[in-house]
Amino acid sequence: MNNEKLISQIRVLCHSPHPENKKEFFQHLKEQEMVNRRLRVMSHGEFLACQLFYIRKWTWMLSGCLLLFIIWISYRHPGNYPFALTPLLSTVILLETRRSFRWKMAEFEHAARFSLRSVILARLFLLGTVNTVGLLIVILIVRPFFSYSLIRVFLYMMVPYLTASWLGSVYERMHRTDQGMGSTMISISSSAFFAVAPAFFSQLYEERLTVLWAAAFVLMACSVTRNLREWICNMEEPVWN
Amino acid sequence: MELTADRITKQYKNKIAVDRMSFALTKGVTGLLGANGAGKTTLMRILCGILVPDSGTVTCDGMDVETEEYREILGYLPQEFGYYPEFTGRDFLLYMSAVKGLRKPDADQKTAELIELVGLKDAARKKVRTYSGGMKQRLGIAQALLNDPQILIMDEPTAGLDPQERIRFRNLIADIGKNRIVLLSTHIVSDLEHIADGLMIMKEGRLLWQGAWNADEGDLEEFYISKIGDNQ
Repeated sequence: MNNEKLISQIRVLCHSPHPENKKEFFQHLKEQEMVNRRLRVMSHGEFLACQLFYIRKWTWMLSGCLLLFIIWISYRHPGNYPFALTPLLSTVILLETRRSFRWKMAEFEHAARFSLRSVILARLFLLGTVNTVGLLIVILIVRPFFSYSLIRVFLYMMVPYLTASWLGSVYERMHRTDQGMGSTMISISSSAFFAVAPAFFSQLYEERLTVLWAAAFVLMACSVTRNLREWICNMEEPVWN
Repeated sequence: MELTADRITKQYKNKIAVDRMSFALTKGVTGLLGANGAGKTTLMRILCGILVPDSGTVTCDGMDVETEEYREILGYLPQEFGYYPEFTGRDFLLYMSAVKGLRKPDADQKTAELIELVGLKDAARKKVRTYSGGMKQRLGIAQALLNDPQILIMDEPTAGLDPQERIRFRNLIADIGKNRIVLLSTHIVSDLEHIADGLMIMKEGRLLWQGAWNADEGDLEEFYISKIGDNQ
């Protein structure tokens, strides 16, 4: 193949297409300016609803599978092991918050009207709400498999879930990893801890200490809320430094 | 409309990235020139409200850059960017429309217009990961224009574009800059020579020179080198 033929083939291959309807585009912009019309924008509620479709399918599937697994294991082994699985739910939520950074979309999102903060808050809210409601439904379903009262099953499920959420979000706030490996490890460690805890601290699961679990629940719920608030308030600045 | 920076300073540990810069930008295309590491990207991030300056203020007609109202009229193209792996070019623009707050009918219309404008019609339904560098850059340029921005800030917009695409981009920016504030940074002087109405030259975080630029006045490259040289 001679050089000229090669050059002409490269030219054809590397040809970049012409812009189309450029005049119409600018005419459209002019018309909008003449009538002083800004594009109509979404409300925060509409934004929240549309973010639902941008959370990956496998994230929802993972949450669903985990909840189903908790039901199955509660049915087969209604000991303390089902309680140790709830920290894994928090991983699903925390990993979703890293997505913008992992795929380098954070800068785009930050400069947009709804900003990075809104995007992450929306994802946290949607996944957090769905997972928590899902877990509450699971608690109602699995309660008959346990010898504990409903309130105790609720506390034994929720405290590990909130503990892992709190520790994971503290880690993410301080280290801001792209892959979310730290929070995943924390969730797995929390899960392992709550799996072996009954063997070493069996008295923890006695009825007289339910008040202690209730206090832990309140403390963890407050800690998660407080940490998320700090995280969201200081999200942008450290990301770029 | 005027975008005003008043004595803005930004420091990273022991490096001053932006050092007491003050300027005002009005309608037209302003080129931001400077060597790598001069502080152009930091300045642009501050102007977009992404970075908060250690001191000083940035306002647009009295409106703070950290407000939603400001971001509503802002278009920004970062120097480096990515995309969610499952996105096609069209999905990417629709997602950015949503984050920019555009309603579905407007988002569909703007996406279709911009896909044609940047010459991605044939590739619109292909995954972004299959795009070439130039196509990704054109997609980035398209997203910056989605919300009809009154302020357009572009960091190294011509990076990755072939010569033909560069010329088309320059023509597009010249048209857009007629009645909008456009700031584009580059270290390729020829990208600005025929379209910039004004110039800002940065070195080591400081504003060396700012003023109007007329292509008839002479060679921009020589002018830039002389300004950098004067300072040494």
